[in-house]
Amino acid sequence: MTPQDITKLIVRVSIKDRAAFDLLYRQTNAKLFGVCLRVLNDRAEAEEALQEVFVKIWTKADRFAVSELSPISWLVAIARNHAIDRIRVRRKPAVDIDTALDVADPAPGPEAMAVAGGEAGEINRCLEELEADRSAAVRGAYLKGESYAELAERHGVPLNTMRTWLRRSLMKLRECLEQ
Amino acid sequence: MSAVDENGPEHGGDDIVAAEYVLGVLPAEERQAVARRVESEPGFARLVERWEADLSPLAAGYAEVQAPAAVKDKLDRLLFSGAGDTSAANSVSTGGILSSLAFWRGLSLAALAALALFVALPFVNPPADEPQMRLVASLAPQESDVHYFVVYDARTRDVGLSHVTGERAAGRDFELWVIDGQQAPVSLGIIPAGTNVHLAVDDATRGKIESGAVFAISLEPAGGSPTGQPTGPVVAAGDLKTI
Repeated sequence: MTPQDITKLIVRVSIKDRAAFDLLYRQTNAKLFGVCLRVLNDRAEAEEALQEVFVKIWTKADRFAVSELSPISWLVAIARNHAIDRIRVRRKPAVDIDTALDVADPAPGPEAMAVAGGEAGEINRCLEELEADRSAAVRGAYLKGESYAELAERHGVPLNTMRTWLRRSLMKLRECLEQ
Repeated sequence: MSAVDENGPEHGGDDIVAAEYVLGVLPAEERQAVARRVESEPGFARLVERWEADLSPLAAGYAEVQAPAAVKDKLDRLLFSGAGDTSAANSVSTGGILSSLAFWRGLSLAALAALALFVALPFVNPPADEPQMRLVASLAPQESDVHYFVVYDARTRDVGLSHVTGERAAGRDFELWVIDGQQAPVSLGIIPAGTNVHLAVDDATRGKIESGAVFAISLEPAGGSPTGQPTGPVVAAGDLKTI
């Protein structure tokens, strides 16, 4: 299914076309479930989150019209934001981080191109310009939805230091992306 | 660490706040504050969207995992139960609602029967230490084409309404009610025009909502019911389900 096909489905969902919604679900649930699982690291919670994500997609599909994101990026953004919202208000993190789920991170492959519409190289090139531990922090935060507190603990630095690090890294990324 | 003094230009200003939001690293309260800015400040929302686009190739790192079929089944019940979920009628205890609604002018028996279909599924009380509870209801048409989707967020005490179909007649307003068993309906106010709108919830109403009350929308004179109780026909109704 091409990005154009997914765009058409989202537009049809925005006018409450249930058949389009069913098809959109079939085509995208695996990717969005992958997002929820990775961030929440708990299967039951990820299933709940996925439901909520598709409720949002059903009710907010009209907003896609004013977004400049590619359709998959728009859907992933909804899923990521929702999963991160959930994990931020969750009281304690899942105990067995990274062992609860046997889900490997695939290496960025051809799909990266599809997701980014041809600009996949930019962010990866710019991340490579950062020091290794800083770019790892950015990638980890993005994929796992780690908070400043969790990053600080994992990297063994105070919270404020972590925040300063990451902010500097983000500013460098912005400079690099604008070149 | 305060968001205010940390966000000056020397720290990258709004663009870096947008990046932190997209990355997801902010603690819950700050994240919610930034999310509100995304909703209310178009310029800031553009910064957020640019970061979403710039970082989106990283999403290739997410493995695809097919969700279990039960998820879609539940989703369909949640979103589309208004379209004839007859199994719900069996688990219903509607006496209280029926009697408290009986005086609603213009509410036909057929509409009441339809309303009864929505009083479904035993309400599951989440543990008291989970203030992040969210509830949804599909307020399905009752002899009308008015359909709203409601999301109640216990944490922010906010009722969000997404307009699906149905327009209010000229000079009339839609009013949202919370009905808790046999008690008189409590108004949450006039539903503002718009696709996605929000209503605040006070403490008393909050308790009703969280203990499993039913939502209904009535058609009222402009400005809302003059009596404090519904005076016009119920055009949409539905019960809450946890999500």
